[in-house]
Amino acid sequence: MGDAGSPPRVAEALLRRVLPPEDRDVFPEELDELYRIRIRTRGLLRTRWWYRRQVAELLLRRLGTVARRVTTTTMEWTTDMDALRRDLAYAVRRLIRSPGFTLVAVLSLALGIGANTAMFSLVNAVLFRDLPVRDSGSLVEVYTGEDDGYAYATSSHPDYLDIRAAAVGGDGPLSNVVGSRTILARLDGDAGPELVMGELVSWDWFQELGVPMALGRSFTAEEDVTPGTHPVALLGYRTWVNDFGADPSVVGRTVRLSGRPFTVVGVVGEGWNGSLPVVVSQIYAPLAMTNAFMEGGIDQLSRRGSRSMFLKGRLREGATPQQADAWLATFAQGLEERYPDTNTGHAMAALPSADVALHPLVDGMLTPVAGLLLAVVGLVLLIACANLASFLLARAEDRRTEIAMRLALGAGRGALVRQLLVETTLLAVVGGAAGVLLAHWTLGLVMAFQPPIPVPISIDVGLDSTVLAFTVVVSVAAGLLFGLAPALRATNPDVAPTLKLGDAARVRGRRFDLRRGLVVAQISLSFVLLVGAGLFVRSLQKARAIDPGFDTGPAALVWPMSELSGYETPRERADLALRIRDALEADPRIRAVAMADRLPLGAAVQTGAFGLPDVPPSERPSGFHDIDNARVGPGYFAAMGVEVVQGRAFTDDDLDGEPLAVVSRAFVDRFYPGQDVVGRRLDTGGGESTRIVGVAADTKVRTLGEAPRPYIYELGGEPTLGALQFVVRGEGTGDELLARTLGVIEGIDPDLVFLETKTMDAHLALLLFPPRMAAGLLTVFGALALLLAAVGIWGVVSHAVARRTREVGIRVSLGAGASQVVSLLVGSGMRLVMAGMAVGLLLAGAAAVPLARFLYGVEALDLATFVAIPVVLGAVALAAAWVPARRAAGVDPVRALRSE
Amino acid sequence: MPKDVLGEFEHQVLLATLRLKDGAYSTTIVLELERVTGRDVAPAAVYIALRRLEEGGFAASSLRPPPEGGRQRRYFQVTPAGLDLMRESRRRYVALWDGVESVLEPGSP
Repeated sequence: MGDAGSPPRVAEALLRRVLPPEDRDVFPEELDELYRIRIRTRGLLRTRWWYRRQVAELLLRRLGTVARRVTTTTMEWTTDMDALRRDLAYAVRRLIRSPGFTLVAVLSLALGIGANTAMFSLVNAVLFRDLPVRDSGSLVEVYTGEDDGYAYATSSHPDYLDIRAAAVGGDGPLSNVVGSRTILARLDGDAGPELVMGELVSWDWFQELGVPMALGRSFTAEEDVTPGTHPVALLGYRTWVNDFGADPSVVGRTVRLSGRPFTVVGVVGEGWNGSLPVVVSQIYAPLAMTNAFMEGGIDQLSRRGSRSMFLKGRLREGATPQQADAWLATFAQGLEERYPDTNTGHAMAALPSADVALHPLVDGMLTPVAGLLLAVVGLVLLIACANLASFLLARAEDRRTEIAMRLALGAGRGALVRQLLVETTLLAVVGGAAGVLLAHWTLGLVMAFQPPIPVPISIDVGLDSTVLAFTVVVSVAAGLLFGLAPALRATNPDVAPTLKLGDAARVRGRRFDLRRGLVVAQISLSFVLLVGAGLFVRSLQKARAIDPGFDTGPAALVWPMSELSGYETPRERADLALRIRDALEADPRIRAVAMADRLPLGAAVQTGAFGLPDVPPSERPSGFHDIDNARVGPGYFAAMGVEVVQGRAFTDDDLDGEPLAVVSRAFVDRFYPGQDVVGRRLDTGGGESTRIVGVAADTKVRTLGEAPRPYIYELGGEPTLGALQFVVRGEGTGDELLARTLGVIEGIDPDLVFLETKTMDAHLALLLFPPRMAAGLLTVFGALALLLAAVGIWGVVSHAVARRTREVGIRVSLGAGASQVVSLLVGSGMRLVMAGMAVGLLLAGAAAVPLARFLYGVEALDLATFVAIPVVLGAVALAAAWVPARRAAGVDPVRALRSE
Repeated sequence: MPKDVLGEFEHQVLLATLRLKDGAYSTTIVLELERVTGRDVAPAAVYIALRRLEEGGFAASSLRPPPEGGRQRRYFQVTPAGLDLMRESRRRYVALWDGVESVLEPGSP
């Protein structure tokens, strides 16, 4: 509180801001006079409130006036095309006249907007873009729940046929239900055998979804009735172009899919890549052909308990997704009553297709990542905008005399603001256009990069209308954001002093310097981004240093698909696998060979249901426990470098005997702590059981960060041995081992196709892919932010140098040394940097906490990061301030003093 | 607000300005209005009214220190256009008052 005689200080300061410049020194005096009179009659407290009320009333009335005026001006202006054309021409001339400024401005904006457009395109392609289907608003996704309570799992073919019949024949909320399942098939194309992704679909799939054919026809009802009788196929557009040279005579030709001849009846239209937005489907066949693609001759079409179909329902006119959901729930209850063996505990549900991008579970994991990435690029754009605002303020300040002159000569403030805004919007639009090009180019680079997974990936990141709308909004918002404040400030000078004193008028009297505020903001935002980058880099280091519990040294990983290569029976396939293993082991440079259907730290999560005697049952109706498992061959533990700490490993002699298992130490600790489990039996369902023969040391199973996870290794007997991948150890690098392994296998069967061939390094790279991407992206954006902030500091200091030439001249002529002058100027810049870093430290501390869940083994408030980043940022800022400050040391005092 | 029609409050402010002759600025106008009407008057409202009157050309202002000395004040005068406006509004009021006298004061002639 000030002294009792004077009005409330904050209110008085506000009053001065609210008033137009010419009344700033007058009206407060008059109000003060009244205030003093009132205190005598009304008392201090009431009068202070009375004063505050006056200021508030004035503020509201002034705001009302300004709002009315801006609206009128905008209305007049948008209808005045001549003025707009004049302003545009003037803006173009001005921008051409200062090419350096224009280039930096457009580049900064292009980087900021480009990063946003690229990132938004990715997020849009994966999360937001609807499938190109007819009337997507009336589609729902239909799911069958798991009996463990997870609601959105896949459905079985018999259930599908029942739902479909009830929907088509009844008058429920759904008029039709179509279904698909994904398959892997071997395609014998012109370029030799190839493993392709495909989809089996109900015959009316393409009609119901409104997907056109590029060539030929889609399937007929007759082709999807009797299993196995109509081997017809459709080619995906890309497959047609890439593998068949876009040959129109392909229709009617026969292609071999998984060893069976199929007649091509058509080519799917170009816009359709399959029902998932990311994975490209290369071939399509009717659902009735399912068993031709299944391993071991299992009939997937008639097994109600075998659920692997994706279903889409079409709502009847006027029906809602909620009604469909309720209808399905009731229908699922009916199925449970009719088929208790297979359907107990399996509910059904529908979600609007528009609300599902990939899958409810995956969407839930991707959304926070997408949000994080968009926030990061948003910060980069904010920093770029701050830079431009700062430059424009500097320019506006240099033009104060001109603008004051024009105002004094009667130019309207609205017209001047408008002209400045046209200039910044022009910059933003040019920057936005350059940004779109930059984004397009960057995305091309990103998309050329295939993530380490075996299926072809297509993310259609083309610039669709959503992305362009996003860019336009971002550009215009940026133009207004960085243009409005400088424009308002530049056109609101105290005209008279500026005209009288010229440049000297602006040295004093700045209560709050917006430019300096912008630099502080930039530094603090860069600080946040750099801390994020630092945390992810540290997390990557930590992840690399974690011991996964198995030998990560050089190895070749090859996964032959003998099923797809003409080996019909499990016996033949098992024999082939053993022959390959023996041939590999016969090579003197190969040390050990493991076989497994799953390797630790791979992409696939695989669990089995096990009944555990003497352990409380799980909540599933069966009481079985879901435990991560793998089928492995003999020799697995030695080749993988996993120690068997108790009991024994598998041998070849076990292959023809009873089912055996080795469990991990974490399994023992969780379920049978302190007990000897060797010799115990695990119930594997259907009256079968497996006997534990050993306990193995723990390995990481799903992620590096996890706590030891119970794991069961089952010996793959004859039925499965032929479907395992090989891990080959020996001399040389992973690539050398891979070449040697493939050479050996080629000697046995040159026509084998492979699901995957890679090195151990590539396998582990998949696991480190997300943290590496995160660290890489954040480092790029952090560096970009740092660069932009450095440009900002450089701009402020060099402008200060230019502005303070006279002062520097006086100092030099009074005997100040060059280094004193430089450190004075650098010091003024570095004070802003320090302030920015202090703010940044707080922001980063707050931002790091929600990041913690993306980090491995690093605390959110990691000391090393929070020490290193200020050092790096400070050093760069120092350099950016020092370069222009050095110029001041060369000022010639005589010239400087004469300059005004 | 059409330019030739005064709001009631603006009317009052103009009248007070006229009454104060050379001594009219926001403070004295507020005090004069409070004295005559007997009600509290908000200086913010007076300030806004004065600016509107000036924009409309009905009042003009000049900066000078008060006679007793001190910082500058913004003194207001009513312009000829303002005087015309007041004459016109008085004429309208008087025309409206015509014939009402017998209702309000039945005793007088």
